[in-house]
This record gives sequence, C-alpha cells and structure tokens, in this order.
Amino acid sequence: MKKMRQPSQLKEAWVLCFLLGVVMLNYPFIHIFNKDATLFGIPILILYLMVGWPLSIMVIFLFTRLLDRNSSQPDNRDQP
Amino acid sequence: MNSFELVALVSLLYLALLFMVAYYADRKREQGQSIISNANIYSLSLAVYCTSWTFYGSVGRAATSGLDFLTIYLGPTLIAFSWWFLLRRMVRISKEQNIVSIADFISCRYGKSAFMGAIVTIFAVVGIMPYIALQLKAVSQTFDILTIPASQLSHGFNHFLPRLPSYIDTAFVVALFLGLFGVLFGARHLDASERHEGLVAAIALESLIKIVAFLAVGIFITYGAFDGFTDIFTRFAEKFPDRHQLLLIDTEQIPYVKWFSLTFISMMAFMFLPRQFHIMVIENSDEEHIKKAMWRFPAYIFAINLFVIPIALGGLLLNNGDVTNADYFVINLPLQTGHHWLGMLAYLGGFSAAAGMVMVSSVALATMILNHLIMPLILKFQIETRDFSVMLINIKRFAILAVIFLGYLYYRIIGESYALVNIGLISFIASTQFAPALIGGLYWKRATRRGAALGLILGFLVWFYTLLIPSFVRSGWLHSDILENGLLGLKFLRPLELFGLSGFDIWSHSLFWTMFFNVGAFLTLSLFSQPTESEEEQIGKFVDVFDKRLEPQERQRISKAPTVVEFIDLMTKFIGEKQAHTAISEYLGNREIDLRGSLSEFELPGLKHFTERTLAGSVGAAPARIIVENYLATRGSEMEDVFDIFGSVTISRTASREQLSILYESARVVASGAPLKKILDEILDLLGDQFKFDLCVIRIIDHESMTLTVRSQRGMSSEHLGQSERELTMETCIGQTFLTNSPVVVNDSDFMDKQATAEIIHREGIKAFAHAPITIEGEPIGVLSAFSKQVKGIFTDEFVELFTSLAGQVGVAWRNNQQTERLIEAHEQQKEMEIAKTIQLGLLPSTVPQLPGIVLAGICVPAKEVGGDYYDYLVRDDGSLDLVIADVSGHNIGSALLMAETRTFIRAQSVSLASTDLVLEALNEFFYEDLGQAELFITMVFLKYQPRTRLLEYSSAGHNPPIVYRAASGEIERLDAEGLILGVIHEVRFERKRLELQPGDLLLLYTDGITEAENSHGDFFGDERLCAIIPELVDLEPQQIIDQLLEQVRLFTGVHNFRDDISLVVMKVEEDTGTD
Repeated sequence: MKKMRQPSQLKEAWVLCFLLGVVMLNYPFIHIFNKDATLFGIPILILYLMVGWPLSIMVIFLFTRLLDRNSSQPDNRDQP
Repeated sequence: MNSFELVALVSLLYLALLFMVAYYADRKREQGQSIISNANIYSLSLAVYCTSWTFYGSVGRAATSGLDFLTIYLGPTLIAFSWWFLLRRMVRISKEQNIVSIADFISCRYGKSAFMGAIVTIFAVVGIMPYIALQLKAVSQTFDILTIPASQLSHGFNHFLPRLPSYIDTAFVVALFLGLFGVLFGARHLDASERHEGLVAAIALESLIKIVAFLAVGIFITYGAFDGFTDIFTRFAEKFPDRHQLLLIDTEQIPYVKWFSLTFISMMAFMFLPRQFHIMVIENSDEEHIKKAMWRFPAYIFAINLFVIPIALGGLLLNNGDVTNADYFVINLPLQTGHHWLGMLAYLGGFSAAAGMVMVSSVALATMILNHLIMPLILKFQIETRDFSVMLINIKRFAILAVIFLGYLYYRIIGESYALVNIGLISFIASTQFAPALIGGLYWKRATRRGAALGLILGFLVWFYTLLIPSFVRSGWLHSDILENGLLGLKFLRPLELFGLSGFDIWSHSLFWTMFFNVGAFLTLSLFSQPTESEEEQIGKFVDVFDKRLEPQERQRISKAPTVVEFIDLMTKFIGEKQAHTAISEYLGNREIDLRGSLSEFELPGLKHFTERTLAGSVGAAPARIIVENYLATRGSEMEDVFDIFGSVTISRTASREQLSILYESARVVASGAPLKKILDEILDLLGDQFKFDLCVIRIIDHESMTLTVRSQRGMSSEHLGQSERELTMETCIGQTFLTNSPVVVNDSDFMDKQATAEIIHREGIKAFAHAPITIEGEPIGVLSAFSKQVKGIFTDEFVELFTSLAGQVGVAWRNNQQTERLIEAHEQQKEMEIAKTIQLGLLPSTVPQLPGIVLAGICVPAKEVGGDYYDYLVRDDGSLDLVIADVSGHNIGSALLMAETRTFIRAQSVSLASTDLVLEALNEFFYEDLGQAELFITMVFLKYQPRTRLLEYSSAGHNPPIVYRAASGEIERLDAEGLILGVIHEVRFERKRLELQPGDLLLLYTDGITEAENSHGDFFGDERLCAIIPELVDLEPQQIIDQLLEQVRLFTGVHNFRDDISLVVMKVEEDTGTD
C-alpha cells in the first residue's frame, strides 16, 4: 500500500497544512485581524477565528476523503 | 429555585441511566456484539476532553480574561491533522503490544522498564490531581447554586449544605458518588483486555448530553435573551467600551506568547492526558475510526465553543459587568431569567462533563497504579493470597477512590483561590511532560531509557516547582516567602521567575522551563547513552511499526501456511461458530478468497493479528497471543490435542484471567514433552499452589487388578486419601466418578451419602473435595482429585469447569506418553532390525570362488523381518571346497551375532578339522552354553567337495537335506544325514556321508524359507514342488537356476517379498571336466 508516491505526498501535505494552521493562528499572522473593528457587527478577530476554524475542519474532511480514495485504489488493483 | 431533593434525585437518576447504558454495552459485548465499535461513538467518546472546564470555565475565562479559552480547542483541532500518522501509529503499536495505558506505552518503548512505568504513573497521578479537583469544584458549586436560595448567592455560594454535618461538604459527597460510579463502570470485575465498552458507551452519551445542554443554553441566551450575535456584540460594545480587550489578543492578559503556549500545551495535553490516551488509543476498536474522528471531533469542539462568547458577553450584560460568578454563567443565566428547567439541563450537562472526566481518569489511573505500582510490589515481595483475582480487583477499586480523593484533597487546599481554567492548565502542563519521551520514542531510534527517564523527572520537578508550589502559596497553604525570595532565600530560584526569567505569564514561564529541562535532558542523555538489549528489541516495534507487516520473521513463523478455515476453527473454539464467521467475513470483506484457503502469504500476518485481536476480546490479550502463536508454531503436532481440550470444554468467556492462566500453564506443561511423572507432578503443583488445596492426587486405572492406582500425589501425606489404591465401586466417590465418567463434587463433607468415603474424609479432617474423571477420547482412564481442609464450598461451577479441563489435560498427557512409549519401542525394534540386517548381509560371501570343474552361485534374499540365514564357500589349500548353509532361529541382533560367531568359528577351525562331522561336533560343543541361554538354535549342513575326485562328503545338523540331481538318470537324491540341531545337547555325534558326483550333476542347498513359503491359502511351497521344478532347470547356469527358482516361489506366494529369508546355493558339476 505504501509503495506509491501519493501517500507520501499526502503525508507531506498534512505536515504543510499543520504548519500553515500554526502560522495562521499565531503572531504575526493573527496580528492582521487583531483589530478593534467589526464586520457585520461582529468583531473582526472573532469572525476570523470562527470562520477559519470550520474551514480547517473542512480541509481535514477533504483530506480524509482523499485518504479513502487512495487506500481503496491499490486494493482494487490487487484483485482484478 | 430547585429543591435539594429534586436535584439530588435527578443527579442519581442520571447516573443510573448512564450505568444502564454501560451495563447494556457490556452485556452486548459479552454476546460478541459491540455497540461502541463505530466512528460516531469513537468521536463522541473523544469529547471526554470537554470537561466542566469547557462547560463552565470557558465562559468564565471569556468574561474575565478574553479569547485565550479558544486556544484550548484550537490546539486539538490543529493536532488532528497529525492523527492519521501519530495517533494511528500509537493505536497500532498498542494493539500489537497489548498496551493498556500511557505508562504501559512509555515503559514498553523503553525496554518494558518497570521504573519508567512507575514514574509515569506517579507523575500522572500527581499531575491529574488538580484536574480532578476542578471537576469536584464545578459539580459541587453548581449543585449549591441550584439548591441554595438565590438571595444567598451574592454572598458566595461556597456554603456547606446546611442539611449535612459541616465537615462533609458537597464536594465530598460528589467525590464519593463519582468514586462509587467509577468503580461500577471501570472495576466491576477484572476485565481481561482492559477495555471498558460500557464506560465508553456512557461517555459517548454524556458527550451528547453536554453538547445538547450547552447549545440549548447558548441558543437561549443568544436568541432568547438577546437578538442574535450582532445584537450581543453591539450592546456589549455600547455598555462596556472599556472592556473591548476581551475581544482582542495581544492584551495585557493575553500576550502572543501566552496564546502560543496555551495552543501548544493543549495540543500535547489532548494527546497525552492519561484519560485521553485511554479513550483514544486503548479503547479504539478500529483504526479506520480515526479517519472519521479527525474531522468529527474538531467539529464537535467547534460547536460547543460557538456560543461561549455570546454567553459570556450576555452574562456580563445581564449582571452589569459583575464577574464574580462568571464561571457559572451557563447555569446562572437561565436561573436568573427564571428558566429552572434550562438551569437543570445545564447542570446535567456540566455534571456529565465532570463525571465523564473523573470516571475515565480514575479508571485509567487506577489501571496504571495497579499495573505499575502495586503489581511490581506484589511480584517483588511474593505476596501470597487465597484469591488473587479478588485482591487485584479490590486494589483497583481502592485505587479509583484514592485517585478521586487525592483530587478532593487538592480541592480543599486550593479552595477558591483559582479559577477553573487555571486549575486545569496545571494538569495540562503536567501531561505535556510525557510528550518528549513519547513522541521521541515513536520517531527517534536513538531515544534511550536514561534520556527519557531523566527528562521526565526533571520536567516534573520543574513543573512541581513552578506551578504546584505557587498554587499552594496562593491558597495560603504555604508561606508566600518562597514566591518573593525564592527557595532558601535564593532570588534566582523564585518559582515564577526561575533563573531570573521574568516578564512571562505563569504558563509560558513554566512551559519554557519544563520543556527546556525535559527535552534537553532527553536529547543529551539519549545521545550519550546506549540502549539496553531489551530496549533495542522494542525500538523497531515502535519506530518501524508500519513497515512491520513485511518483516520476514513474521512470515517465517507461519512456515506451513495455515488456511483461513484453520483460523476460523481456532476462533470458533473460543467465541463460537457464528461470531467467528461474522468476524472473519468482516475482515476479509469483499476479497475474493475461496474458503479452502488460498490466501497470499502476505496476508497471513494480518489475519493472524486479526485472530489474535478477536480472541483478545474474549479471553484477554496475553492469553490470545499465547493461543495463536502456539497454534501456529505447533500446527499438526501434538499441541493440537491441547487445543482440542479447550474446544471440547467450553470455557465461559467470563472465566477469570487466573483460571485461564492455569489452563495455559498446564497446556504448556503437557506440551513440554517432559517425562510423564514430571508432567503429572507439575499439573498437581499448579492446581495445589493456585487454590491452596491440602492434597491433590492423580489415580490411573490398572487394567490387571482393576483398581485405581496412585500415579502422582502432592500435598499432605495421607495413607488413606493419597496413597492407597481404590476399588472400582459405586460405594466410593472416586469409584462413582470413574464409573459414571462425570465429576463428583462435595462442597461440605458433613453432608455425604457415601459411608465408605465419609469415614476416611472425616478422619483426615477434609472439609471439601472434588473428583473429575481423566479421560482419553471420552473413555475414563483415571481420576483427578483435590481436597481442602480449610474451606467449605470452594468448588464453584466455574472451578469445576476448570478442574474438568485440567483432568482432560492429564488425559492428553497420559495418551501422549503412551504413544511416545510405543513409538520409542517401535523405533528401537526397527533400529535393531537394521543392525541385524547389516550384520547378516556383511557375513554373506561377496564373491563366488572360481574353481575348475564346477560352477557356483548363491543368494540370500532377506525377508522384511530379518532372519538368520547364512551360507558360505571356503576354498581350501588342497583345492577342495567347503560349503556351508545354516539357519539361525530368531530375528534379532542376537541371531545375527550368533551367525557372525558361527562364521568366525568355521573360518578359523574347519581348516584343522579333517571331516564334516568333526566340524559340526566342534561347533555344537562351542555353542552349547551360549545357545542354551539365548534360547536360540542353529540348523546347518556342512559339505566338503573335492573337484578333482568329485567326492562330496557331508554332515547335517537338523537342516533341510540338500538335493542332488543326477544328470544321467534324471533322479533326485536327498542328502540326509543323522544329526541334531546345534546347541541343544552337550555331546552329539554327527553322521558323515559320502557321495560321488558325476558331470552334469546339480547340487542344491536351501533353507526352509523356500519350502515354507506360504501362499494365500496357507499352503507351503514344499519339498516336492521344489524337486519337481529342478529337472526343468538343470540346463541353465546356476545363477539362472536361482533366479528361476525365486521366480517360481514368488509366483506361488503371489507376493514379491518373502516372509522369511530364502537362501540358495547351487553347484553344478561341469560336463567337460573330470578326472581320468
């Protein structure tokens, strides 16, 4: 199963996303949104976090879908 | 205002409901079904992370300090990215190594070190103490809020309940109840596989309740009390313009450093808190569930955080900015607005959050305490007890209570000085200390035990110093001197500004120093120390866990590839046919595999692990491994008998670990191939030691005297019980056991109906005893007995089951031994035959002498069973020829050796002995003594032929008379001479006869193998048939004559091999030579 290139690519993509998440949640990136302003009546920092959070969960979800597809492909090939 | 009785009743009913769910899940599991084995339940159970800290504390934090409460949940969301690699690796390793706790995991990685297990356990218990205190505080205070009149709330709600004595506060009662339920959920009985499906089911339900409750409160505040998110934010900004920092970070309260530290701490805590580890790793039933939980769990914590800020801001608005009760806004706001039912729901949500955490933590920690602190002590001091399993389960129960009451103790010390979140963070940083040793151990091969141990110890010391000491000081329990002036007045040792590091918040400060020492020591010492041998062994299993399926060793072990069916059979024996088939078809999925087993070698290790895991679910992890590995290692050999016993006696899956271990131990003894006596003794020792019997006896039937004879006996010496034989009669219990082929159990010897037995039993002071038949293939061959002088009623049904299977194993041992004996006997016989055959064939002449005037040929066809035929030609100096043919009775080495002696004697002596009769006389003399003793005898014909004169002289010692065919007349003559067989009588006279042969004459010497060759009707080939054939063959060469004769005999008998040796010597006088 692990002989293909995709899983290792996938693994690197995971690490990248993880690091991106850490960066986007911390100084200095978060400083962009750390302002005393509102958008649609909601403070901009809270809006950023409360929208960014579900987005990151979405990314994980998509990745697991990809993982499913990847792991099912080699299986199919084993049994023509 | 809710009444005290109502709240207490609802709490208890709720706990009872949880318990019923747990009980149902456990029952289902016993029936082989798992209601928790799906990704939804797994994701929900992970939410045990959300404790009352989340439920109440987040809001309090948001209302007082600001947004940093979010870090506690953003961390786990981020770390979820790593689960498919990090968590799956941890789960895989734990399943393969049968790991049951985080302490087990770390100690296992570092060479199964008992020391590592012990320090991790101690640190975990101390580290979690504040966290449990937090839960007790939350539950007791919300209970008080609900039951104490609202008018008193402003004065503080930490009053003791007026209905109870003052020294028992609400927290104490809560601790007691949570402890009891912890015992009920986690330690009702000693669980073989350390998995608690019931507990997981209850946790999942609690997670559901708490999110429903929190969302209900959130929606009520946001859309009921206010007009949506925007409304709350707008009104907040209008009313408290000075508190806008609550919605920002990089404030005085939340610098960026703290923001980062808390995110990091929560990532580590989520992975390495003992209860998280337990639920995530140990209770995981399928790696695939991780994939789903990776986004479902973050979605859960997102949802539970969605309304935290609205509730916090709403609370501030409704309370005019008063933050004293901020921690309990979730329950207070519904009450303030008169919605008591919602307050009750919130209370239940918070109660769920706290109870779940306390129960899982206490069970996980109690397991660690039992395995890593108590067990090593028990093993070291060899503490003995009557009933080990009862003692262990009681220790575990006690440990659960002890863990919770340690938390209570901390709560009493800290009291009101800390907010909920701050107490929890102390525990978070404690569990972060496990991260370097654990993650390092997973990915870094050079990580050594010394490095990990020192790192852990330093990390925890610094943690204790920088976090726990300040918390004691703040509560007034310690003098504040240490904070201001440092330990021993050394300023650079001030706990909050260690080594002069100032300007940081308490968490970042502690995180930095603990990690500095922990990681530093771990890396440095690992680099400069070598892993021990046992560590080396483990490193590969952890670091290369995902490459392992290709490991050649794994495949070698299954050298004779077992089929799928065999695995199913094995599983069927333990979990029943239906479950076995269901399990295997689940595993194989839609792979096309015909059931006769064409499974690729590559798949086998996987199937093996699967089988092991399946069995582990019912008999426990360690026994499962023994079963599968032994089964594979010894497939097709004697060991299968042992497993058949397990199959024939259905061991209830509730049988305790101790009982199973006895069975496995005895199965091993039986399979060890030790001498029978030793096997029997060891089985009795095992039985006696484990159950403290005063006497154990094995009796086996003696078929000659028809009595049961003692074969092995352990314990007190009693002539009547343990040494004497027993008649086969229904009058005694033993006799009855044997004759009815069923166990007889007397649990109280005062009530017995058999007079004969009762007398002996009472005389020896036996209180209870049991007999079980020892059987071979269902037939009784003996009786296994156990006697106890101390306890009545010791023989439970479960025990009798075990006892019967032990008796079955004795039967197997007995049968194995019999087979072995027979085998050895046969083996020895065969070996002897071979030796005899070699000797015999070595004695026969290898070449035929070439003499003028005659043509010679001889043969000895050895039978399947070796005989004692012997023939020889000896050419003398005077040109004469001695011919000898002999038949030694018996078919063994003795007869072969006798033949050798005969040959030696003849070769040596016959030269000096002038005539044939003298040779025989001398031989008779020589053998008289030997043969008499050996009960052997020899028949022999000795002939001398002088080719020049064609004179034949002969004597016979009871041998078949040689045949002479006269070419001239075509007549047959028999060369009969008087003489007894050799070695019977001391002095025998042998007749000597002479005969002159003519050219063309034929002499045939033979042994009785040819005349006594028997056909299928029982007729002998016989003399006459032989004589009739010879005239037809005379024109042939001697060798051809022999071939033809053998051919005729074979035609007669109809078989190729002869029953006895056949020896033939043919001498033909040539026509063209002769004397004048």
